Amino acid sequence: MKEIEVSARTVEEATERALEQLGLSLEQAEIEIISEGKSGLLGIGSEPARVRVTENANHIPAGEQIETCAVDTLETMLNLMDLDASVFRENDTSASYDDEKSEAPIVYDISGDDLGILIGRRGQTLACLQYITRLIVTRQTGYSAPLVLDVNGYKKRRYESLRTLARNVADQVERNGNPCTLEPMPAYERRIIHLTLAEHPGVITESVGFGEDRKVIIQPK
Amino acid sequence: MKDLVEYIAKSLVNAPDAVVVTEETDAENGILLKLKVADEDKGRIIGKQGRIAQAIRTLIRVKAAKAGIKASLEII
Repeated sequence: MKEIEVSARTVEEATERALEQLGLSLEQAEIEIISEGKSGLLGIGSEPARVRVTENANHIPAGEQIETCAVDTLETMLNLMDLDASVFRENDTSASYDDEKSEAPIVYDISGDDLGILIGRRGQTLACLQYITRLIVTRQTGYSAPLVLDVNGYKKRRYESLRTLARNVADQVERNGNPCTLEPMPAYERRIIHLTLAEHPGVITESVGFGEDRKVIIQPK
Repeated sequence: MKDLVEYIAKSLVNAPDAVVVTEETDAENGILLKLKVADEDKGRIIGKQGRIAQAIRTLIRVKAAKAGIKASLEII
């Protein structure tokens, strides 16, 4: 959010200058008078008028507020973690958006060298980073945003390979009639498997186990 | 190490001015970070079943691993 403090001879003049510098109209800003100013006698004992002008958040569209806040938060955190990485908005959201009922997610890809450390085992570290970023953005903007983070396209690649895996295993289960249990996966990965096979004619899917050990079982129908 | 915790904590609480992080170095266990927030903000830092605290710890570990040290976080 933009904020500025300006001094001038009168309050009106200071306000006008501040608005001009921020590129806002009077309705888009909050004006706080810090000092009314004194004219003094022949310039002696005079004090400038001082105002603080803050951009009024209400006129900025929610999407824009969320995006600015998300990028700022992410860049600050990556910086504080001593990671050399850049944040890009990913426009292809198909990997994390596969049901029309939910709001399209805002996806950011973090790119840089040696970022495996940011993904963690089974993407756990990435999940934590996404969780904290969402919390901060919700807290600061007041909107709960469907933010999704990725690192060097990791989730996108995972999405493709999980879909292939799901189809192959499903065909095999259908053929030989034996259920097959996949390795443990985080919730959003299991969801990809379930959704990929929802329409499959020969198998049904089910998740079993608790916490980190929860996994998908593909069974013949 | 301190600044990362401080940034996250201040961004999540109602009273950012009450956020205090202290750092102690222990030869055996590396860096111990102690985070203090206003009483009514404790829930915002810990989260349901400690989920937020655990996520902050995970992010600290990334930074510590990069620096080749150990770090732990205590909320007091």
